[in-house]
Amino acid sequence: MSDAQSRFAYVTYIRTTPEKLWAALTQGAFTKQYWFGAEPISTWESGADWRLQLQDGRIADTGSIIEADPPRRLVIKWLCHMRADFTAEGYSRCAMELEPDGEVVKLTITHEIDRPDSPFIHEGIANGWPKILSNLKSLLETGAIAAA
Amino acid sequence: MTKNQTQFVYVSYIRTTPDKLWAALTQPEFTRQYWFGVSMKSDWKAGSSWEMMYDDGRVMDAGEIVEADPPRRMVIKWRNEWKPEFKAEGYSRCTMELEQVDGAVKLSLTHVMDVADSKFITEGVSNGWPKILSNLKSFLETGAIATANKS
Repeated sequence: MSDAQSRFAYVTYIRTTPEKLWAALTQGAFTKQYWFGAEPISTWESGADWRLQLQDGRIADTGSIIEADPPRRLVIKWLCHMRADFTAEGYSRCAMELEPDGEVVKLTITHEIDRPDSPFIHEGIANGWPKILSNLKSLLETGAIAAA
Repeated sequence: MTKNQTQFVYVSYIRTTPDKLWAALTQPEFTRQYWFGVSMKSDWKAGSSWEMMYDDGRVMDAGEIVEADPPRRMVIKWRNEWKPEFKAEGYSRCTMELEQVDGAVKLSLTHVMDVADSKFITEGVSNGWPKILSNLKSFLETGAIATANKS
């Protein structure tokens, strides 16, 4: 990471398969359960549009798919619309990598923006991902989320 | 974090109680199950010595308890004892905070070293904690760990 970037990184090990985890990250039927009702909408092909729609229909984030290699790697160009100061920061990049290791999948999320001291990364993203990913792990391992 | 510090931060939400999580973080019969056989020796009072041992008895890390407020907050003065380049960096501080939120316990772990670009933090701690804390969450929520592969 250069001084001109802000980055959030998170690694979690989930007892599941890469295929199940990929489905859980991309299909609304799963995301609605662990992502507080949110649903990502995309064809999940490189260059395709992407948006994250909240339960009440508002669009939280928009962007496009930079890379999609199911069930291994997904990179999303990501602009937040929930706070004017976050939107003003411009596009961030979120990379998700899925690596199988025996009965577990290592999921690495790296969310970065080309700005120093980004409030979007440090206040928005850094608070959001740990709860979402904790719920995702619980849902896949136990069938229920951890924190409502 | 200043430029002369290196920091690792991790937050996990675990479906459990603060008392059960505190016990899982401090009692060897629990740590051995999700922490690849590791056990800790301390009476968990401020100023007390603290040691972490491999299952064969070798000391991996040592230090002392800086703060202990069960089941809410613990700060450990922590030095690695097995890798010379880590040991040479001196003592780090590991802070664990447990908060009951939204039906779960939010565990916030911050591990800081007062050294720029600390290898102990970027190579040791940053690789170790995510796997250990993933196993801890699985262990408390399902009774089984997520992975037994330590490397």
